[in-house]
Amino acid sequence: MSHSEAGLGRDALAYADTLHNLARYLTRSETDAEDLVQETYVRALAAAGQFTPGTNLKAWLFRILRNTFISQYRRQRNNPTVGGLDTVDSGALGPAEENWLLGDIELDRLRKVVAGDIERALMSLSEDARTVILLDLEGLTETEVAEVVSCPVGTVKSRLARARAALRQELRDYAR
Amino acid sequence: MPGNAAMDCQDVRLHLLDYQRGSLDPARQQDVRTHLGGCAACTRVEAVEQTLTELLERRLPVHPASLALKRRLAAAWPAPVRTPRPWRRGLWGWQLAPGLAVAAALLVALPLLYYERATVGRADGTAGMVTEALNDHLRLLQSERPLEVESGGIHRVKPWFEGRLDFAPVVPFAGDQEFPLKGGAVAYFLDRKAAALVYGRRLHSISLFVFRADGLAWPTRGLRPIGRATASATTVRGFTVVLWRSGDLGYAIVSDVDPADLLDLAARIVGG
Repeated sequence: MSHSEAGLGRDALAYADTLHNLARYLTRSETDAEDLVQETYVRALAAAGQFTPGTNLKAWLFRILRNTFISQYRRQRNNPTVGGLDTVDSGALGPAEENWLLGDIELDRLRKVVAGDIERALMSLSEDARTVILLDLEGLTETEVAEVVSCPVGTVKSRLARARAALRQELRDYAR
Repeated sequence: MPGNAAMDCQDVRLHLLDYQRGSLDPARQQDVRTHLGGCAACTRVEAVEQTLTELLERRLPVHPASLALKRRLAAAWPAPVRTPRPWRRGLWGWQLAPGLAVAAALLVALPLLYYERATVGRADGTAGMVTEALNDHLRLLQSERPLEVESGGIHRVKPWFEGRLDFAPVVPFAGDQEFPLKGGAVAYFLDRKAAALVYGRRLHSISLFVFRADGLAWPTRGLRPIGRATASATTVRGFTVVLWRSGDLGYAIVSDVDPADLLDLAARIVGG
């Protein structure tokens, strides 16, 4: 192991929490999340020579994790969830879909949604939607998100907007 | 991007997040602001977006990696490079069985040894105290019974220390909804006893150690004001340690939460 790989390893370990968080939301299972994070580090170690110093290590690890998840998802998944990979969320940007939030009472109710509700609402979205919302929460730029999810930079913004719109729609039931 | 044609509702909503984060160029920022000034529906959607952001940032449960997982990762990284294999449940154990045998003996030592190596040689007195605070925090988390007294509120926890310490810990902050007090225990900080109080932050634990401040090499550089105190904040490998003293007592709080959250808690403890 080269010194640079050892250094990369030390830096990569600092992202264990955030990688596990994304893995937990993708797999819905603590056991699977731990397996996914561990396999991510195995793959990252194997590909350490391909990492470009000075680029965003966290985004690089996220990309490995997501690709690992997808390869596993496509091979093993037998129980499709709401939406699938690369599906388009039903949430739209038009004013009609936001009508339920146009009243002060509804907005106040949304503000009181508890942690479990927002987690369940997020879990009900497609993997794509969950991923872009969580990557955005992690502070990744649109360019970095695009690299992680392998889509053009120009589509990240609209994909995120659709994902958040879908989340708002899901939260409607909890805010009543 | 020039603020050319007036933006319609769909354009504005697509850029609301960037607008709220101030990441649009000035002309487009002004375009969105102008639109919002005359569109009640989009103004409401902006309020909704802001609320959604706050919900996600403050209430969405966070699932950090367990310490056991972190130790396995730390132990596994120096292993020889392997050819990547498909991920599936249980495969990990096969891949790393030999490494895990060694790792079992080093579970506790590796992270701590690494940390101590990484901090040794710092010129001021911070390194030793940061190391001790982090080690104490990890020991507390590793313990099967980390809390000797479960919290029924600060008025139950503080009296519990009477007779167990040679000083009275002064902890004005009783915990609240954002940082609930979980309980306390007696710990050691370097050569002296300490009161350890554990607060929660979502799924994270935050350890506060209170101890006699005399005779320690307190940091003198990189200090920042926190309430009435001046504190030193150091982040290493995802853990942040904040140190300060108040009168005869020293304080150290440690966690892997967002450093801003930890500083927030420090301010509440300092300011009471």
